[in-house]
Amino acid sequence: MRLRWAVGAVLLLLLVPLAVDNSYVRHLFILAFIYAVLASNWDFSQGYGGIFNFGHLSFFGLGAYSSGILIKQLEWNPWLALLVSGAVPVLAALLVGLPVVRLKGIYVVLVTFAFGQLCLQLILSQAGLTGGSQGLVSIEGLWLGDYALSADGKLGYYYVGLGLLALSTLYLRWLVRSDFGLSVQALRDQEEYAAARGISLPHTRLLTLMASSLFTGIAGGFYAIYLGVVSPDVFSFAITSTVLGMLLLGGLATIYGPILAAFIITFGSEVLVSLGPVRFLIIAGLTILVLRLLPGGLYSVLELFQSRPGRSVPTRQGRPE
Amino acid sequence: MSGWESVLTSGIVLGSLYALMASGLTLVWSTLGIFNFMHGVLMTVGAYLAWQFAVDRGFGLGLGLGIVLAVVCLVALGCLVEILLIRPFYGRKDLVQVTVMTTLAGLTFLENSTLLIWGPRLKQLPPVVEGQFRLLGLTMSNQEALIVLLSPLILLALWVFLRFTRVGNAIRAVGQNRESAQLMGLNVQALFMTTFALATVLAGLAGVLLGSIRFITPTLGSDPLTKALIVSIFGGLGSVGGSIGAAYVVGMLEATSVFAFGLYWTPSILFVVMIVVLIFRPNGLFGRQS
Repeated sequence: MRLRWAVGAVLLLLLVPLAVDNSYVRHLFILAFIYAVLASNWDFSQGYGGIFNFGHLSFFGLGAYSSGILIKQLEWNPWLALLVSGAVPVLAALLVGLPVVRLKGIYVVLVTFAFGQLCLQLILSQAGLTGGSQGLVSIEGLWLGDYALSADGKLGYYYVGLGLLALSTLYLRWLVRSDFGLSVQALRDQEEYAAARGISLPHTRLLTLMASSLFTGIAGGFYAIYLGVVSPDVFSFAITSTVLGMLLLGGLATIYGPILAAFIITFGSEVLVSLGPVRFLIIAGLTILVLRLLPGGLYSVLELFQSRPGRSVPTRQGRPE
Repeated sequence: MSGWESVLTSGIVLGSLYALMASGLTLVWSTLGIFNFMHGVLMTVGAYLAWQFAVDRGFGLGLGLGIVLAVVCLVALGCLVEILLIRPFYGRKDLVQVTVMTTLAGLTFLENSTLLIWGPRLKQLPPVVEGQFRLLGLTMSNQEALIVLLSPLILLALWVFLRFTRVGNAIRAVGQNRESAQLMGLNVQALFMTTFALATVLAGLAGVLLGSIRFITPTLGSDPLTKALIVSIFGGLGSVGGSIGAAYVVGMLEATSVFAFGLYWTPSILFVVMIVVLIFRPNGLFGRQS
């Protein structure tokens, strides 16, 4: 059922460039693809794993900076850099995961948050490599032979972005349904019982973080290559709370929910851009309203229209203390 | 030698400010059981409110009256935030995570509101006292000395309040065991609101003090929030006393690191130290195993 909808959406998105040749609208689509990858992969560790990883955006930033540095400073081929930009955050996830698996509740939030700040500080202080607070500019874009992906109104980037989103979604679906995904969810729902049945908590939590950082990093790399710029802003609080808003508005542990919400918020905030800072007030207000009135997010509303009995929405995500 | 003197001075000043920040954060954590990401922005709002009431470009009521009125507004704001962002979620199993998200949304909301209301231009509160003084070879501006003196006084008042008054004891009781406190006839809901308003005032006062030595911008509170976060982790989130001690440790550590390794490396060093502390003592440096 959901698969049918997803395939339909992909087919529709494949046809969009035929109808829309405005390169600005295409730009918004590409941004929405990137945000959708970001939010849905965060959903894996947050929604399915119940790990409140506040450093998810730092995986994105690390991906963006690794491809930026590889292309700009080491003159790598952008395609190769794009692939490698997924590997760096996985290593970073291993690093941040080591303290995190020993902690619970709020301390997970604090350490992952601190990790994000640490990344930001390191990038600011290594100006020779990272461009410091200016960031890296004019990063070389992607080419297929002699064809620049930015040509024809960003046509190439549109399809690469869409492909990235489709791949990442397939990957997440596979992950969630695999034995590994089931043990991740078991640990979220019944930690003691799952552990008693032989699921290793530290091992699984560590792998959860690493798995959710892979496509996040690649999306970061794509973001840097597509815009040609990467600045310390990728670590900013504003992006974290925007993507968190997508996650909550869409609905936790649904994968498709955050993807849908990524499109709604990307296009919605573009409509509101003339309002200036007021649009952040609106997004913040919406987030709170959704948390209060619609704990299952938009996706739970969509499911009302389906004949299947509604899935219960997971609420237990680790405990305080 | 003058280097180490300035390290000591700035360490004490920073420590005093962090102690004020972290005490409010810890008070909310140990009573309500939530981590308040709005603490930093409430500090900013406090500084702006005092500025608005006090200076001639605002309402021109003078600093003393300005601070009093700012505190009144902060109490109201604290109650409002508790009612809108925290109260609806008590009793939910994922209270900690949900309130992290709501207070984050609140942070975005207030930060952009201050930007809309007061604009991006830098503002500064007039210092209460002018000039400098020297003591035991340390040179400090009088304003900094005032911070160093006032902050422990405020914290002492907080301690007396929590320890010796009926309401203070009730707040601690609710923090220790919510159900029993409720069975004893304490109005838990009202006490939560009081605690949150109190923490808001503590944040706001820290903001007023900071606003007199730094420029006030909409993001004035974000750096102190991060520091208060490190402090609370060092101190173990549970105890107000532990976090006050930790505040001075972190203040000194920061000042020493700025002197020894430079401004750029200091934040990284603080974060690394914090992560290492958490690996070996998951309940904080002074925290007890729970």
